[in-house]
Amino acid sequence: MIAILLATSALASAASLLLGRFLCRRGAGWLLALVPVGLFVGLLRFYGTIEAGHTVTERLAWAPSLGVELTLRLDGFAYLFCLLVTGVGALVVIYADAYLVERSPAERARFLALILFFMTAMLGTVLADNLLVLFLFWEATSLFSFLLIGFDVDSPSARRSALMALHVTAGGGLALLAAILLIGVTLGSYSLTDVTQRAPELARSPWIVPILAGVFIGAFTKSAQFPFHFWLPNAMQAPTPASAYLHSATMVKLGIYLLARFEPVIGAVPGGRDTLIAVAMVTMLVAAFQAVRAENHKTVLAYSTVASLGILVMLVGLDGPMASVATVGFLLAHALYKATLFFCAGTVIHATGLTKLRHMGGLWRFLPVTAVASVLASLSMAGLPPFLGFVSKEFLFEAQIQSSWDAVPMAVAVLVNAVMVGVAGVVTLRPFFMGRGRVLGVRHREVVGLLLGPMILALLGLIISLEPTWVDRAVLRPAVTAIYGQPVEVRAGLWHGVTPMLLLSAAVVGIGVLLFVYWVPIHYRLRTLTRLDRYDAEHAYEALQRRIRATARVIAGRLQQGDLRDHLGVIFTTAAAFVVWGLITAGQGLRLPTELGTMRAGPAALALVGLAGGLAATGARSLLAAMIATGLTGLVAALTFLLNGAPDLALTQFAVESLVVVLLTAALLALPLAAPTTRSRRARSRDAVLAAGLSVLLFAALLDMSAAPQHTVAAEFFGARSYVEAFGRNVVNVILVDFRGFDTLGETTVIALSAIIAWSLLGPRMPLDGGSGGARRSVFVLAFASPLFYWLLAALSMVALLRGHNEIGGGFVGGLIAALAFAIVALTHGVDRARTKLRCHPLTLAGFGLLLAVVSGLPGLVAYGDYLRHIWVELNVFGIHVKQGTTLLFDLGVYLAVLGTVLAFLFGLTREVES
Amino acid sequence: MSVLYAFVAAGLFGCGLYMVLSRHIVRMVLGLSLLTTAVNLALFQAGRIRTAQPPLIVEGAERLGESADPVPQALVLTAIVIGFALTVILAALTLRAWRSDGTLRSDELRSAQDLGDPLAPGPDVDH
Repeated sequence: MIAILLATSALASAASLLLGRFLCRRGAGWLLALVPVGLFVGLLRFYGTIEAGHTVTERLAWAPSLGVELTLRLDGFAYLFCLLVTGVGALVVIYADAYLVERSPAERARFLALILFFMTAMLGTVLADNLLVLFLFWEATSLFSFLLIGFDVDSPSARRSALMALHVTAGGGLALLAAILLIGVTLGSYSLTDVTQRAPELARSPWIVPILAGVFIGAFTKSAQFPFHFWLPNAMQAPTPASAYLHSATMVKLGIYLLARFEPVIGAVPGGRDTLIAVAMVTMLVAAFQAVRAENHKTVLAYSTVASLGILVMLVGLDGPMASVATVGFLLAHALYKATLFFCAGTVIHATGLTKLRHMGGLWRFLPVTAVASVLASLSMAGLPPFLGFVSKEFLFEAQIQSSWDAVPMAVAVLVNAVMVGVAGVVTLRPFFMGRGRVLGVRHREVVGLLLGPMILALLGLIISLEPTWVDRAVLRPAVTAIYGQPVEVRAGLWHGVTPMLLLSAAVVGIGVLLFVYWVPIHYRLRTLTRLDRYDAEHAYEALQRRIRATARVIAGRLQQGDLRDHLGVIFTTAAAFVVWGLITAGQGLRLPTELGTMRAGPAALALVGLAGGLAATGARSLLAAMIATGLTGLVAALTFLLNGAPDLALTQFAVESLVVVLLTAALLALPLAAPTTRSRRARSRDAVLAAGLSVLLFAALLDMSAAPQHTVAAEFFGARSYVEAFGRNVVNVILVDFRGFDTLGETTVIALSAIIAWSLLGPRMPLDGGSGGARRSVFVLAFASPLFYWLLAALSMVALLRGHNEIGGGFVGGLIAALAFAIVALTHGVDRARTKLRCHPLTLAGFGLLLAVVSGLPGLVAYGDYLRHIWVELNVFGIHVKQGTTLLFDLGVYLAVLGTVLAFLFGLTREVES
Repeated sequence: MSVLYAFVAAGLFGCGLYMVLSRHIVRMVLGLSLLTTAVNLALFQAGRIRTAQPPLIVEGAERLGESADPVPQALVLTAIVIGFALTVILAALTLRAWRSDGTLRSDELRSAQDLGDPLAPGPDVDH
């Protein structure tokens, strides 16, 4: 059932890509909110199970030998997150549709689709039990956050902020991945439940410090803790609905989720909790300081979010049962009021276009309902009764009092919470109720879409606090049980008598009110401390980026001077070094072949002629001479294949060499044939040494290979089955089209693609008057003989194709021979004659051949469920017993693809020469 | 015999490498073609030079008798065709380079470098 919910979410997000445009064009983009609402209702069905304390687990085996299973687990803590994600998500979709009313429908649709995809990623992260699956969804949330922050693709500051967020969170994700892999190695399992249950065992392992470091860095980057906090205020470049969803209510809480899940491990390691509390306190102080200094409405909210996340991290670090209660309570309360405040900030920005707080004032007259929602949320944020924020603050103080850490965290918490009270006042009272006359008009009035979200969330903050039973039983208590391990007795009520917590709350409110009253002077005094800006984390990040780029420039400048020869020299030298290093570390010496076999004079002389050809090519001054020498070595290779039992290869190589001579001559005739040496004498001797060294390595490798025992398993396999199962006598052809048909399909694709490349590089631009290549005076003998050769070669190519399965031949050979036929016509009469003889475009031929090859595998897919499993049909045609299979179709496809490609080369190159 | 073939393949490999390191792009293309030939010969030797009998199942038999190893042959066959396609595409590229830049020296072909740095530095932002 959970898997179905997750899959529905994914499919609906994908569908919203198409559906969204349709809906947004009709102004009904808010209908997409039905997806999260549907998921929310679906999740409510688990209410009974979760309340009873059970967890729902669903398992899908993926790669069991690697320990990768798609295990989904819904316990109380995950249930809280799921409800938050889907509930707030629904309100965000409705809000965003109203907020982005000035954008084009396509952009609105894109935004809503991204929000839905993000929701799916969040659900996947909190529901995942397998750590690798969790990592996958974790990175997906980073990715969608990047896309949402950089939604205004034309704005350089939005792009910069998006990149910053991606760098920080994805970098933390890499650390998390390292930790996950170490956990898998240590425990032998990637399951989160295993980690929780075997926490003492994990805490004793030697890898625990890197594991915890990875988990901490992952969590701190995601939850914007010091020193990774700087991306969150920058992320306010995102449209406000995204800020409300990601950067206050859901995504940034993922780090807290991770730390809460790992709490048993953290608690078992000495210094684990201390690290968390220390980092949290520094974060809280820095965030509170910056919150007072910030000027923008959303930046103030962002820093207060950072501070609240610091409080949450500290709560995870504290021990004792009340810490877990406080974590869960504060999670819920913060999500509710912070999202509301972001919604209200968005409405203000949307209505007035202002972002700086000091420009806003007296907005309650224009945006009354928003003002009410903002007041309710701020009262919750300030921790005043009877709001949920008050209850959660009480829990917070009780947790601190009960834990073993006393004075310092409590003092920091009091100070920071006081600043939060001040922030609450500044964010609500100043823009809405004070400073009348600063704003004289608004662009957009309040609409239902903009009001639904903030009002519902603000009222929830009040209702849950006044009537907590349902939420308490179904959500809070199971969540606490999930992370604490045992049920905790919690009295969730407003009045417990005059307790120390109440006194602390009163102190917080008192200091906070003072801060609010003296906000302006404090704000201005702190802003003048510009010297501190030089040392903040964002500057460190920028400096790191600059340093990385400078280093890259230096290295690139050193290694890549713009001369291709230097690049190649580096590559070859490194390759040689690796091979030599491998040989040395392999330990065993070089094996030399013991039996040398009989030396046959003819083949030996032939091989030496080939070597002479290669040497001639290197020394040739003229390009034509070099080309002829290269062609000579190719012919020698073909003869070598023929003399050593590879007639198919010999045929292919002969055809290829002939075509190479024709085509390269065509190309070379357009180039200057005298090619002076381009390297100095020293460079040449250096290159000669490098080439000689690598060829010595190859020689040694080949000697070693020939001395090693030959593995004939594959040859025996194919030799035994080629006729019996694949009905072919030419084992090489059977391997190519049947046993390893998929490889050949890939290679045919490569060949067809090269035709496209060649055509786009050379493609004859057909001249309108019929072209100059038409009237060509050709040599008489050639003109007389060319039709004969054409038909001979065409017939030969068809024969080669048809007999390839049982005799020497095949699709490759046939295609090359057919291309030779057309080459003769092109040489004799010109390209136009050859093209008219072909009657179709060479690329069409190549494409059709590829299509045929692909389609030939489909009958096997339909009949046996195996793609490219060839089917054989036996027929009696006029008394002749015919047995053919889809291998012929495949070979024909290869034939046509090769023919089309070579013709594309041919027509292109010869046209270049003629023009 | 196999020693001689190994020697020839390695020699051709060295010649091809020497030509690839030239600054004249046509020599590079020809060197690459030599390299392809040399490597195909080297791969072919994985089947061990022993017999001249091609891997064809004779009429009447159901299994392959004593013959050359078919597996390296299958691999080299497609390698020959793709090496050929590569050579021709490189020749087309050199033709294009000659037509557009008027030079055949790799150190004088600088049109990509002259376009400048694709990653412009980001602007300073205050918030």
